[in-house]
Amino acid sequence: MDMMVSTLQQQRAVTEQLRREAAIKRIPVSVAVSDIIKYINEHEQEDCLLVGFSSQKVNPFREKSSCTVL
Amino acid sequence: MPKEDPETTALKKELTDLISKVKADQEKLADAKLAEKCSDLGDVPKIRFVTKKTLKGHLNKVNSVHYSGDSRHCVTGSLDGKLIIWDTWSGNKVQIIPLRSAWVMSVAFAPSGNFVACGGMDNMCTVYDVNNRDATGAAKMVRELAGYEGFLSSCRFLDDTHILTGSGDMKICVWDLEAGKREMEFDAHAGDVVSISLSPDMKSYVTGSVDKTCKLWDVRDEKAKQTFFGHEADVNSVCYHNGGYAFATASEDKTARLFDIRSDQQLGHYTPPGASGFTSCALSLSGRYLMAGSDDNSVHSWDTLKVSHTGTLNGHENRVTSISVAPNGVAMASCSWDSSVRVWG
Repeated sequence: MDMMVSTLQQQRAVTEQLRREAAIKRIPVSVAVSDIIKYINEHEQEDCLLVGFSSQKVNPFREKSSCTVL
Repeated sequence: MPKEDPETTALKKELTDLISKVKADQEKLADAKLAEKCSDLGDVPKIRFVTKKTLKGHLNKVNSVHYSGDSRHCVTGSLDGKLIIWDTWSGNKVQIIPLRSAWVMSVAFAPSGNFVACGGMDNMCTVYDVNNRDATGAAKMVRELAGYEGFLSSCRFLDDTHILTGSGDMKICVWDLEAGKREMEFDAHAGDVVSISLSPDMKSYVTGSVDKTCKLWDVRDEKAKQTFFGHEADVNSVCYHNGGYAFATASEDKTARLFDIRSDQQLGHYTPPGASGFTSCALSLSGRYLMAGSDDNSVHSWDTLKVSHTGTLNGHENRVTSISVAPNGVAMASCSWDSSVRVWG
């Protein structure tokens, strides 16, 4: 970790900041990962990059042959 | 050499103790590994991204791309001194905005689609109104935000009246665009701030810096909430996960990573075959895919959960500088030093 400080004032500021950051409440990784998995599973079907387009109608890149409503 | 005063010595000791304490607290909570916990999930479907559109028009390196909130338009900035607003669905150019300075490094589209912003080595952030033209027919310049002591590396609209910027002078600023005044300006990192990503609820953001760290901020505060260590060289890009609890990063150290906010530590470490620095990263809508643009001219993708490399998108003929996923997840745009922009899906 690079904590380069040159003055007393800066040293105080850096130490105070780390005191704040050290004091936060953290949750276990297992819980964090479960929540991420849950979000991904819930949204997988809407993720076009993952599942593609359900039909050509929703594909905005399809070649349009007739008139479209802009 | 003057003797160090007792307070400085005490503070330095406290700092070292705090660092050890934080590491220990984080390790206590590391009761699972990402890939192991996901080992029984189905594999990602065999989808291959292809280039749906190649957007040609810039005459020089394109440094930055950002989607509008409408998931259809995007803005790109190039060293040819222009911003181009594209309709990614048709591949057409909607607007070309000539810039006063060609040295553009970063662009942003307001979520509303009403404004675009850019900045770079001119040490300024300039905002243009997409819906109003000036006498020459180009988008009207509405604000030139100056006073930076370093290059503008990143900018993001909080809404149509506020913009957040990160710069080479290691600071973050929040500007009130209606008043044309800085609302906040503070030292953020121990090195250039190079990337900003807003949380889905727009109340927080993460920053990446050449000081190798990422920090989490509340938009109202001038002091960071958390600092994330792990990268071994400049962090070039950060991207919030839509779930709001994690973010992806890409670095000069040739890795992409996933950090979790609530457990305050790194969860994933992603490397490609071969080894090149990464310039940019993005997550798909659900977050299952992590993509990173590379110095090796390609965009790499991984299964975020299983921590496995899922593919390499080839097409660009030079470094990929920036990537952006459409807010509705329908496509990913990439831009490159080869002067083109590609839309993948």
